[in-house]
Amino acid sequence: MEYALLQAVVLPLLLAPVAYIIGRKAGPTPAMWFTFAILLYTTILIINAALSGTVEEHYPWTSQFGEFGFLMDGLASPFAIMIYVLSTILVLYSKPYMLHIFHHQFEEEQNINPSASGQTSVIESSALSNYVNTKSGLYFALYLLFAMGMLGTVLATNLIEFFVFFEIMLIPGFFLVALWGAGQRRKIGLMFLFWTHSGAVVLLLGFLMIGFTVGSFDFADINESEIPQDIAMFSAVAIALGLGVKLAVFMFHIWLPYVHGAAPTPISALLSPAMIGIGAYGIFRLIVEFLPATFADLAIWFYIWGLVTMIYGGAMALMQDDIKRLLAYSSISQMGYLLFGIGTISVLGLTGAEMMYVTHAIGKGILFMMAGVIIVKVGTRSISKLGGLAGKMPITAVCAVIGALTIMGIPPTSGFMGEWILFAGALETAIEEGSTLRAVGFGLGLVATVLTMSYLLWMLKRVFFGKTPEHLENVKEGSWYMTAPMMVLAGFSIVLGIYPDIFYKTIIPYMSGVLGV
Amino acid sequence: MATELMGFEIGATSAWLVWILPFAAALIIPGIAKLSKNVTSNFSKNATGYVAIGFALMSTLSAASMIPIALEAGEIHNQIPWIESLGLKAGILADPLSIIMANVVGWISFLILIYSTGYMKGDKDITRFWFWMMFFIGSMQLIVLSDNLLQVFFGWEGVGLASYALISFWYRDKKKDHVGTEGRTVLGMLDYYSPTHAGMKAFIMTKVGDVMMIAGMLLIFLFAGTFGFKELIGDTEWAVTMTSQGLLVPAFVLIFGGAVGKSAQFPLNEWLLEAMTGPTAVSALIHAATMVKAGVFLVARIGPLVFALGAAGILADQFFEIVAWVGAITALLLATQAMVNPEIKKVLAYSTGSQIGYMMMALGVAGLSYQYVDGYTAGFFHLISHAMFKASLFMAAGSLLHVVGSRFMTDMGGLRKQMKKTYAFMWAAGLGLMGAPFITTGFWSKDAIFAAVYESGNEWAMPLYAIAVLTAVITAFYTMRMMGLVFFGKKSKHIEKMEEEGHHIHEASLSMWIPYGILAVLTIGIGLIGLSMEEGLHHTFVDYLENSFGIHTEHYAIEASILPEFLQGLNPVALGSSLAAFAIGAGLGYIFYIGRWVDPVKFVNSNIIFYGIHKFLLNRWYLNAIIYWCFVVAPLWLARGVFRYFEKTAIDYGMNDGFQKAVLWSAKVVQGTQTGVSQSYLFVFGAGLLFVVLMLLI
Repeated sequence: MEYALLQAVVLPLLLAPVAYIIGRKAGPTPAMWFTFAILLYTTILIINAALSGTVEEHYPWTSQFGEFGFLMDGLASPFAIMIYVLSTILVLYSKPYMLHIFHHQFEEEQNINPSASGQTSVIESSALSNYVNTKSGLYFALYLLFAMGMLGTVLATNLIEFFVFFEIMLIPGFFLVALWGAGQRRKIGLMFLFWTHSGAVVLLLGFLMIGFTVGSFDFADINESEIPQDIAMFSAVAIALGLGVKLAVFMFHIWLPYVHGAAPTPISALLSPAMIGIGAYGIFRLIVEFLPATFADLAIWFYIWGLVTMIYGGAMALMQDDIKRLLAYSSISQMGYLLFGIGTISVLGLTGAEMMYVTHAIGKGILFMMAGVIIVKVGTRSISKLGGLAGKMPITAVCAVIGALTIMGIPPTSGFMGEWILFAGALETAIEEGSTLRAVGFGLGLVATVLTMSYLLWMLKRVFFGKTPEHLENVKEGSWYMTAPMMVLAGFSIVLGIYPDIFYKTIIPYMSGVLGV
Repeated sequence: MATELMGFEIGATSAWLVWILPFAAALIIPGIAKLSKNVTSNFSKNATGYVAIGFALMSTLSAASMIPIALEAGEIHNQIPWIESLGLKAGILADPLSIIMANVVGWISFLILIYSTGYMKGDKDITRFWFWMMFFIGSMQLIVLSDNLLQVFFGWEGVGLASYALISFWYRDKKKDHVGTEGRTVLGMLDYYSPTHAGMKAFIMTKVGDVMMIAGMLLIFLFAGTFGFKELIGDTEWAVTMTSQGLLVPAFVLIFGGAVGKSAQFPLNEWLLEAMTGPTAVSALIHAATMVKAGVFLVARIGPLVFALGAAGILADQFFEIVAWVGAITALLLATQAMVNPEIKKVLAYSTGSQIGYMMMALGVAGLSYQYVDGYTAGFFHLISHAMFKASLFMAAGSLLHVVGSRFMTDMGGLRKQMKKTYAFMWAAGLGLMGAPFITTGFWSKDAIFAAVYESGNEWAMPLYAIAVLTAVITAFYTMRMMGLVFFGKKSKHIEKMEEEGHHIHEASLSMWIPYGILAVLTIGIGLIGLSMEEGLHHTFVDYLENSFGIHTEHYAIEASILPEFLQGLNPVALGSSLAAFAIGAGLGYIFYIGRWVDPVKFVNSNIIFYGIHKFLLNRWYLNAIIYWCFVVAPLWLARGVFRYFEKTAIDYGMNDGFQKAVLWSAKVVQGTQTGVSQSYLFVFGAGLLFVVLMLLI
């Protein structure tokens, strides 16, 4: 189909105001279905494009920056598909969760303005519905922008274009957190903005160095042999640091537990699995593909940095009581796997790293949704106040177990298909180079999987099993809007775990091409 | 030829069905439960159970249909495309080893499922129970019939997952479902476990083994480019390369690590005891048919490959030494603890670990001896006989728990009159475990192991042999102890109290005693023809090893020995020590627990040494506590320290609040200069001017 990628990126942008108006005039349900329809259509476009192989589209832009293009190849398609699939199903999930938040905030504001309390209940309820309509319109509009920004980033074919989309996804993200987050949401929203923006600035520095040296910002024009070695190294390091903030690797990770903990849960479920992994996409595209010689020098550092992040994130996850913060630390640890895989410089390892993005998107998506169901239905997010929920919310419990297994990498979930190939790659390089450091890293990486398993099983035990505290006696299962998305992802995890070729088929040829094997 | 071809095609389908059917049952069981929810007839109440049993029977019959192929030492190898981008295929490999194993697993599981209909009657989570039981069996059959290691790993983790789900089946952690003695601590660690804790412990501990296994698998994959068993033996160039880098033995030992975890061998043995929190039907399944046997099967799967490589000049003796020694240590370690434990299911669990140790020892010794097939057959024969008697013992123990309502043997006693059938069947199966001479399968298989170890002729033969015999003595002793405590002596206070309250102690229901009755009778029945059974198995394996691995077995003329006619061919030393071990162990057990000539409690307390040993054994050699200290307490302590003093302070405060404060502070400093007083501005300006002028002058 012509203009498929353009439509997929631009439609949500153009229709976001419409979503706002629909929300405002007609209420949250029509706005939700409208948003869902747009994203479903664009997701089908994306999947359709992915099935037909590599798709490339180019459109004129300014003469200074080059072309505005979209490219979906073996690297971009798994990212693009996961981003839109998640965005689409999370629209459904958003409605009940956000209504919960809107009602809460409405009550809070009522309490702050006692002047409103004298009104009759009829006026109050109409005030509430007006409030909810406006807010849901705004929410879905921002949601569309957010999804569009993520997709644009992974499809961009130009450094400046990449940067623009990279920043576009940040802004709606900031508003979503600052408006409807939990706790000190404005402060945390700002923290998110500052951290990721600082990262983006460093990233831009790297882009400019490359762009001015090469004389063009188009991906197609970047050729490592034209770039002096030290400039290539400087820009690669700048890009890695900039993207490292997005990936929340060790030392740059502190914003993530705050933001993912505070963000409204559907947004956490997009931020954590889909957005932060885009940092890994950037490393693949910009460093592995465009600066291969520099990458070969840096790889061992990625490997070690990834390993440290894996273990550190897992160890910190053990110490959390807030369920969403636990999952956030788990995301940090999982991003470590991605970086670790990139550091292996082998086809298997790189493929594993990209598969880890896909399976982490599935698994962590499910787990964040699980946390959301608990927040809505139980009203607490503190693990120590939970227990024995498996009997009360069986569907959520089953999905959460599948999600946890996906993160742990237990077959037949997709996690295993990411993990074994990742570690095969790590071992392959260790043997080929005869490197003890890499071999030890491989061993510690495997130990980290046991750590991952420990904190997830422990969480499941404390949330779903054991005795049910008295105050949880009347807890009910979440609505279909909330459980169905989890079930879809859980099913997808198992399908992919049994038949991983869905993504292997596109990733492996790309990685072999990039590494020149 | 055409019919044979036909036959093999049908064989391939049935091999696939053996593992697909249980999974299919697991998939449809939740649906069946939904459909039958609103129907109140008696049949529909148990509909899920009938579906499970029906599918299990079909799966097992498919396995049985392949027996002729095993007897001819034929094989079915059938592949379908799987991960094409890496050139990996899925497939089934039904050779004599896997066909026999599939039948053992299938029939035992089938009987256990029938038992479960009685044991789990009225449990409100019964659907979940059937789902996981079928998942468990399917995963095990997948391990057995897979033709490559990656697919084996699917079953391998499936088994782990199912065990996690079933051990913590009663996830509400009620007091009655715990194991251990409440309030008892060992080195500060509680010796009292809830089902959910136990499930988690089992899953994580076996995962440690799995991680090693995957490392080993990947090593082989990277050199051989395949996970397939047939491909690995077909072209052994990869093994030469690996040996030259010194990686061959480590790779196989790592794979054996997986078996150590799953089979609860030392040092990953501690999960097996807590696994007793699961329903007894689950324990029976774990111990007799599925989980722990998976490890032994894996060693039986890769052992011939390693030996064949050895025969081709690529030596991997250390692999077999490690297998043998791990087996021997576990056999003794767990047997000693079984002597003192007060809980009936735990005694049986220890006993399983110990018996698996025998199997490992046999499989390891096989590779160190001239005739690989002797030890191999012995180990596998013991697997079969153990599956029968241990499944029977567990199910019988489940009946006892059901009736008495306590897991402690001290709460039983004197039950032989009220539960005659269970009493008789437990004797039959218990004699199998003890290795009662000439009439039980356990005797023949244990004797075969003794003979294999004794005749292996390697440097470790004698110490291993001594451990094997000592363990046999202990085994006979603790089995007698169990029988004595449960069925002999006076009724315990617990039972008296129950009877006062109007509970009538009665025999278990029909669906419960029939399965363990069948297995108990088989233990004796097959025991009577045990020697010819063993010879049959030996013969099959000779052909199997020859055809599949090129391991040639020499045929000796049997030398006439001092033994009577019907025992010709047995090793007299092994036979003698096996008889002696039984006599000593059973005799001591009789003195203490059945004849009750000596009071064991007084005996232990009479002497500080006995007391110390008793305590040491009861505290599980302190291994469990040490593992908890090193791998649970210490890492958590470390993580907490890092979280508090690094993450919260250096990173969180340093990079967020601290940074913010630093910026604010510097802003204040700068602000301080903006006083708005023109005199001070002029003063600074003047001072600056003076400074510049002076600089210029100098």
